[in-house]
Amino acid sequence: MDENTTDRQANEPHPTRRRALMLGAATASVVISIRPALAQTSASVLTCEIPVPDAGRAGMYVAADGSLVPNGTKDAFPGATKPFKAEDVRTALNGGTLPGTTYEQSRAYTAYIRRLQHGTAGFTCFASLQMPRG
Amino acid sequence: MATLYRAASPDSLIVAPVDLLTAIYHRASGQTHLMASPAPEILDALAEAPLDAAALLAKLRADYDLVDADPAVLAARLDELVETGLVERR
Repeated sequence: MDENTTDRQANEPHPTRRRALMLGAATASVVISIRPALAQTSASVLTCEIPVPDAGRAGMYVAADGSLVPNGTKDAFPGATKPFKAEDVRTALNGGTLPGTTYEQSRAYTAYIRRLQHGTAGFTCFASLQMPRG
Repeated sequence: MATLYRAASPDSLIVAPVDLLTAIYHRASGQTHLMASPAPEILDALAEAPLDAAALLAKLRADYDLVDADPAVLAARLDELVETGLVERR
C-alpha cells in the first residue's frame, strides 16, 4: 500500500487537510425530516393534479433535466396536454412511466415535477406525495 | 447496470450547519431535514454527478479519511436519503 493515503500513520503529523468521516457499522443514523404544515393534510392526496408545465408557462418545452426551455428546442418535449393525476405521478416517481408518454418524456416530466417550488401550480400536490407514509 | 444515485441540485437546497447537525431545506418538497454526518457529506459527494454506490465510496475515500468504511452502511445511508427525497435512485 504505497499510495498517498495516510490512514494508518496516525502517529505522524497530519500532512493533509483531509477530514475523517465515520462510515462504519457503529455509525448512527440521524435524519429527521420536518414536514411542512401545508402537507399534513393527507386527504385528497391522490386526487390532486400536477400540470406540466404550469399554466403560467404553458407552451414551453420540458428538457430532459426537467427545466423549461423555449418551444421547439431540440431533444425537449412539448408540455403535457392534460395535468397528471397524483397517483400517476407517484407511480412515476417510483420508477414507472406517466400515462400517454414515452419513457424519455416521462423522465423529463418527472424531473420537472421534482423541481417544482412553492408558488408553482402542482407544488402542494407534489409536496403531499413526498410525505413519508405513516 | 448499477443503480445510480443523484442528489437534488444544490440550488434547490438551503444548507445551514447547526452545531453537530446540518439543516437542509429542500425547496422542492418544502421539507427541512436535520442530519448528522455522514449524510451531508454523501449529498455533497453526489452534487456534481450521479454515482453508483461503489463510485460514491471511492469518491468519499478520496475526499476523506474514511473510518471503518462499510459498503452496507453506505447503502443504508443512501436509502435514508432517497426516503427524504434529497437523493434520487435511477
